[in-house]
Amino acid sequence: MVSSVINPVIAIAINTFRETVRDRVLYAFFVFACSITVLGILLGSLSVGQDIRIIEDLGLTVIAIIGGIISVFAGTNLVYKELERRTIYVIFTKPVSSWQFITGKYLGLVMCIFVVVLAMGVFLLGLIWMVDPTHHMQLHIGSIIASLALVFLELLFVLALATFFSTFSTPIMSVIFTLSLWFIGHLGGSLLDLSKMSSNPAAQQLLTALYWCLPDLAQLTRVRSVLMYGKEPSQEIIIFMLAYVFAFIFFLLGLASLVNERREFP
Amino acid sequence: MTGVNVIEARGLKKDRVSSFLLKRSPILDDLSLTVREGETYGLLGPNGAGKTTTVKILVGLIKPDSGDALVLGQKAGEPEALKQIGFLPENPYFYSHLTGYEFLEFIGQLFALKKKELKERMAELLELVGMTADANQPMRKYSKGMLQRLGIAQSLINNPKVIFWDEPMSGLDPIGRRDVRKILERLKSEGKTIFFNSHLLPDVSDVCDRVGVLVKGKLVAEDSIKDIERGGGYKDLEEYFLTKVGG
Ligand SMILES: Nc1ncnc2c1ncn2[C@@H]1O[C@H](COP(=O)(O)OP(=O)(O)OP(=O)(O)O)[C@@H](O)[C@H]1O
Ligand SMILES: [Mg+2]
Repeated sequence: MVSSVINPVIAIAINTFRETVRDRVLYAFFVFACSITVLGILLGSLSVGQDIRIIEDLGLTVIAIIGGIISVFAGTNLVYKELERRTIYVIFTKPVSSWQFITGKYLGLVMCIFVVVLAMGVFLLGLIWMVDPTHHMQLHIGSIIASLALVFLELLFVLALATFFSTFSTPIMSVIFTLSLWFIGHLGGSLLDLSKMSSNPAAQQLLTALYWCLPDLAQLTRVRSVLMYGKEPSQEIIIFMLAYVFAFIFFLLGLASLVNERREFP
Repeated sequence: MTGVNVIEARGLKKDRVSSFLLKRSPILDDLSLTVREGETYGLLGPNGAGKTTTVKILVGLIKPDSGDALVLGQKAGEPEALKQIGFLPENPYFYSHLTGYEFLEFIGQLFALKKKELKERMAELLELVGMTADANQPMRKYSKGMLQRLGIAQSLINNPKVIFWDEPMSGLDPIGRRDVRKILERLKSEGKTIFFNSHLLPDVSDVCDRVGVLVKGKLVAEDSIKDIERGGGYKDLEEYFLTKVGG
């Protein structure tokens, strides 16, 4: 029966969502993010005059960074917290398979990040509305929503990385691994450029192989810059980007399930 | 008592590997035991004897280095076996931000129980362990004994055939201990197979049919309570235990 496969996943997702959303740390981050944006605007309006574009950029950057921090920390603590509190003993002595556990945990965090991005996005829109004397929201709303979606997509990827590492290493190591790969993801394209420049065929192959193993988030950056100029990215680029990110997420979660399956809980 | 073996451990070995020079020393050493359907089995032994390790192998949390562990004819830890067992871990555990009610609901959903059935079962179990009044408090505010009661409730949510309880009486007040004894009696009368660890020998001798004594990973004695108290020449289970352990 389908429900007997899906129900545990949903239960774990809701449980994870509740645990994360009820944590005060999350609100601290949220308040922090909002204050930084407001502070930025106050400083900005003193110097540049009330430039909506600057507020927009600042707000989106803050959302991306705070969302990233929350994703990395919540994701890397995922399995560790259950181990530390021994709740893992209760879960893995129930008929729950490793992939159900990983998927449920991941989806729970995705829900949480969604709420965070949504709340910060609404706050940003509210700010822009207040600052813009003409209150022409329709000018901004499209590009802001598109940019928020892009941030969310990137966070989905970061969460999958963090989830993957959390299945076999300590939180601190997972944070380091996740941040490194995230960073590399934005440099990925340069590996390819480097390999083209190299005259040594072995080095060329090695760099190309490395490029194909490591994540490449250049697509995201490209789409972001298109949005920045107030244009619409082409459909092919969007589809390619979505396919790439989701394939990577599936791959990471699959690997995480495999690792977790062989694990003992002494 | 029927003759079917519900729990079967054959030649279980588990080593602990020290981080220094990877030296191995045994936690469990060739442990074999069987528990028949409807039987209540108490595993006794001094601290560090390997009781918890044995239970963890039987519920599939850890794998033996060698030997077989079977529960209801399935390899320990297989989903088919897990569907029909209930497990209470040794120490209290909790989710900080969930209430007891939400926790119990969560556990029931892991078994994909139907909503209505689950609601009824939860109400019944909360009543059974005396936690109805506190069910809507977050778990971080529970005392050790309250967590233990909730743990007992979650171990019964799927109406299991086989029950593994690791020190069910620890942390409970005298009323709680009496309650657990009553619950055990009731589960026995329902024909469940029960496997538990305990240091509280009077309770063990009250409810168990048979006991095994584990010392340093080896099963040094195994007898039925009847034999111990009548024919064995021991005053009580405590004297038996102390003799076997050699304390
Ligand atoms: N996670 C672990 N890593 C290494 N060794 C362990 C681990 N857990 C238990 N041990 C060792 O295994 C042995 C048996 O431990 P176990 O917890 O099974 O004992 P026990 O009989 O349940 O004791 P107690 O009565 O104190 O609960 C102990 O010597 C302990 O040091
Ligand atoms: Mg123990």
